[in-house]
Amino acid sequence: MAYTPQFYPGSTTVGINRRKHMSGNLEKLRDIPEADVVAIMGHRAPGADYSSTHPPLKEMGEPDCPIRQIVAPTAGAAAGDRVRYSQWTDSMYFAPSIPYWRSYWGAINCKGCDPGTLSGRQIIEARERDIEAYTKKQYDSEMTDVALCSMRGCTVHGHSLRLEENGMQFDMLSRTEMGKDGNVYATKDQVGIPLDRKINLGKPMTEAEAKKRTTIFRVDGVPMCGKVGARKYDEAVDALHHMWELRSKWGFRPE
Amino acid sequence: MVTESDTESIEVEIVPNRFLMPATAQKLLNAVYENGGIIRIMIQGPNLPRNVPYGPGRGTPIEENRDLLIEVGGQAFELCVKVGRIRLELESEKYFDGLKAACERALPFSVHIKRGKFFHTRSTITDYAKFGKVEDTRVLGLIDPKAKRDRLAVLSEERVTIDDEER
Repeated sequence: MAYTPQFYPGSTTVGINRRKHMSGNLEKLRDIPEADVVAIMGHRAPGADYSSTHPPLKEMGEPDCPIRQIVAPTAGAAAGDRVRYSQWTDSMYFAPSIPYWRSYWGAINCKGCDPGTLSGRQIIEARERDIEAYTKKQYDSEMTDVALCSMRGCTVHGHSLRLEENGMQFDMLSRTEMGKDGNVYATKDQVGIPLDRKINLGKPMTEAEAKKRTTIFRVDGVPMCGKVGARKYDEAVDALHHMWELRSKWGFRPE
Repeated sequence: MVTESDTESIEVEIVPNRFLMPATAQKLLNAVYENGGIIRIMIQGPNLPRNVPYGPGRGTPIEENRDLLIEVGGQAFELCVKVGRIRLELESEKYFDGLKAACERALPFSVHIKRGKFFHTRSTITDYAKFGKVEDTRVLGLIDPKAKRDRLAVLSEERVTIDDEER
């Protein structure tokens, strides 16, 4: 029987969603054109050339190295693209992906990327044409709800703040707005520079839908340790305790 | 001058479950104001900068955060923050039930209303640096000590004073 990695323990909906995010087996919910994703990222104008840090690998004459022969370079690395980033802020009010899970998704599923997790934001760095493809995947999949998640290169806070009246995550630079038609529009790129047109990102998830797809354990949603009064620890907690014990007592050395 | 009262004043904090849009904030503040008995009031929430503060877009104007004028008790002033919390001191407990009803009337979503001690009573070093010797103790606890600008709005039965002076 072929081995299937489990990725994450637990039988709660949050555990199941976390497994989905880590495995990359995600549902596609929308299709935002590549040019729009590039415009929101703001590193280059859609259609412009990619800036590069070195000539294409084929022209460089690489040294004779067995690892280079085994590992095929990504498209961006092969072309010598600059390293660029995309950074996300996901609301703790049941956003589908919370910062660590974007990082796990990136580290497991995206070749040649460098994910970084901070308390309320998550950044992935990669060669420009690779990060554009990875960002489009994040935008299009169930990892993103356009009201509760947004790309923020700077002035990122919003993760732990209350939502706006219309259900949008608070953004002091107002990079996205709720249109009268119920769709969310991106009006600025990720660093707050206005776009030349509004980009329709589609309709946000309902609260019930967001709760169904979220990867955050919350006491008012799916609590990690069960409901108070009838505590039944999920397998995720047992695994976490086990890892904590191993790390604390002997260093992390699963056997 | 502190409003003279023969009963004990109470301090109340109003925390809506969502950040308020200017129109809703105006509705709520007017409802609170009409309820009466206010000695002082403070609006708190995340800052709304007029320009992008840092990053590659630094200095780019943020039109959405400009001219957020609201009118409370007949006095117009500009909002500098997204209203997320309102703290106020009431003359006496008899205004508290009316305040709760006013909040429920004005807001379409739930709100937490707490009684407690929210304004400090002794002048801090920051207060001294900003105002010198404080004579009207109502200003204590109304100013964000980290703000570069004073953001002060004291509403009382007699007068409304707004101070948004550049420092």
